[in-house]
Amino acid sequence: MTVTTLKQALAAPRAALPGSAASKDVRAGALAELGATGLPTPRREDWRYTDLKPLVDAELDFAPRSPDRAALDAAARALVEHGVPTDAPRLVFVDGHLAPELGTLGSTSGIEVRDLDTYWLEREAARGARLSTAAHPLAALNTAYAQSGVWLRVADGARIDAALRLVLVASGAPKVVAQPRIVVEIGRGAEVTIFQQIVDAADTDGWLNVVTELALGEESRLALYRLEEHGLRHAHTSLLAVDVAARASASLGLFDLGGRLVRNDVDVKLREPGAALDLYGLLLAGEGQHVDDHTRIDHIAPDTRSNEAFRGVIGKHGRGVFNGKVIVHRGARGIDARQTSDNLLLSDQAEIDTKPELEIYSDDVKCSHGSTVGELDAEQLFYLRARGVDEEHAREILTTAFATTVLERIAAPDIRASIADRVTARLRTLAEVSR
Amino acid sequence: MSTMLKIENLHARIGSREILAGIDLEIPSGEVHAIMGPNGSGKSTLAQVLAGREDYEVTAGRILLDGEDLLAMPPEQRARAGLFLGFQYPIEIPGVNNAYLLKAALNAQRQSRGEQSMDAFEFMKLIKNKMELMQIPKDFLNRSVNQGFSGGEKKRNEVLQMLLLEPRLAVLDETDSGLDVDALKVVAAGVNSLRSPKRSMLLVTHYERLLELIVPDRVHVLAGGRIRRSGGPELARELDERGYDWVQVEAARS
Repeated sequence: MTVTTLKQALAAPRAALPGSAASKDVRAGALAELGATGLPTPRREDWRYTDLKPLVDAELDFAPRSPDRAALDAAARALVEHGVPTDAPRLVFVDGHLAPELGTLGSTSGIEVRDLDTYWLEREAARGARLSTAAHPLAALNTAYAQSGVWLRVADGARIDAALRLVLVASGAPKVVAQPRIVVEIGRGAEVTIFQQIVDAADTDGWLNVVTELALGEESRLALYRLEEHGLRHAHTSLLAVDVAARASASLGLFDLGGRLVRNDVDVKLREPGAALDLYGLLLAGEGQHVDDHTRIDHIAPDTRSNEAFRGVIGKHGRGVFNGKVIVHRGARGIDARQTSDNLLLSDQAEIDTKPELEIYSDDVKCSHGSTVGELDAEQLFYLRARGVDEEHAREILTTAFATTVLERIAAPDIRASIADRVTARLRTLAEVSR
Repeated sequence: MSTMLKIENLHARIGSREILAGIDLEIPSGEVHAIMGPNGSGKSTLAQVLAGREDYEVTAGRILLDGEDLLAMPPEQRARAGLFLGFQYPIEIPGVNNAYLLKAALNAQRQSRGEQSMDAFEFMKLIKNKMELMQIPKDFLNRSVNQGFSGGEKKRNEVLQMLLLEPRLAVLDETDSGLDVDALKVVAAGVNSLRSPKRSMLLVTHYERLLELIVPDRVHVLAGGRIRRSGGPELARELDERGYDWVQVEAARS
């Protein structure tokens, strides 16, 4: 294991970057851009509440080795503990490395799995829409250092019945910076469900910096669920970039249940007419945890629709951030964009910053947003207590109920059940320590 | 006959405003009493103070339920001691379904008596007839508590909860308000089915029509935070004919 600081990692020579020779240009290019832009600091408006300093100061392993037998065993046990079904089509990354021993897509047809190098090379030629390093500096870090990744192509018209599970496991090895890259291209008229599950075999001082790029072809449908749950030591940053073509619809359910330092960016481009987005999520943070969900939706084309609803539950000494930006581009008429952010503080020592940002450069636009921050409802508490339910249990019931309305939007029953389990357990702990 | 509820010189205020100005009331075991009075007389405050609402400050007096000091108990302990408040405005709780609330309430009270929690099968058996009596459809159990319920449904739900919990003392706060004649009959049938020598009830109401269907043993008239008159069921009819003005005149004179 070689540890370096993030600054040293940014200055690393081309030869120190991982991956095949074919990918070096892309990686070195991203690193050079990031070097020029610099890491985000709280002086940037979109990083105002989240300071990466703890990661900048730390000595970390930016080039973790492929998992050995012990790491794979630890990962396998964690998969069982987290109820990831063995018979489901699944791809498992351990410390950023794809681990074919732990999962395959099995007999699933209609999906082609290609490697990341091919993607880097073809993408430079085929797609102009590269992730912007200025907007997403940590995605550039991922490009430079991604240990491995997959490029999944869902065939035109394919209907994938079983949900694809993409599981990102931290084996418990110390100081690991895992940076997997996941790219999914969904063909015209195809339908697919993806469950991205983030699992720690042990709560270590590692850092997961994952980039997921999804491109929806015309009239395709995607349901994506993400369940992220770290302990008190692990850091987590992510970018979920989604590009939606004509009459395609994406439904994203994001469940971010904690971590020492968590920053999730969601960047959705409704690129062609008829593109639609449902984006909903739950953000939980307890003592010693900082969870920041930043979303941005671009209505680029006319007649596009977005519906965004996030809820946050923050426990004692926890810190949450929700920022929802919606941009309606010039000439994009017939837009329907709704956004709500409702937050529950379980203690007067809990904090959330919630900020809607609407930028509208067009007319014939229906936009609404609303955000609330509050405590548990005193009338509801009294009603339950008047029925004999003790105060602690009443608080737990109401806290769970607040979060349940988000869970109800998950269409797949088995995924809903497994996410609900984790959410309920986490809320119980939050409610207990917040009394 | 033993006294179940005893209220002595009860004073309560909200902020600096005194609402209960010395209530004395005794309800023997097995009796149904009604509290009537004009708006703002303190009827609902009395019901809320009995249930342990913390918005009201009790400045003097005491309340004994079966000889136990009710004011020393938090709301949940009062419920477990056998007190039930039927809310005038039942609270909506999105995300909590009725079956969950009913089971949580029942099991909280059973556990406090050292009894086993009830499993889902036993619970369904227990609740089925009670739902039929209250004319509540089956899908109700899976709906969120009081959310999207009509006024009548909310009140029938309150009585259903009472039937399930079988309290020692039921305090029903304007359970008749906002009900049409048919719904009123259903509610009254539910309440009457629970009358027993071992159970007492306090009906807080503005109108006499409820007392035609649930005939009380005693009627008390509250005005200005004190009980001004007490009598038999005929007092309710007198109030219905003469209104409350004469009581308020008496209250003003005292």
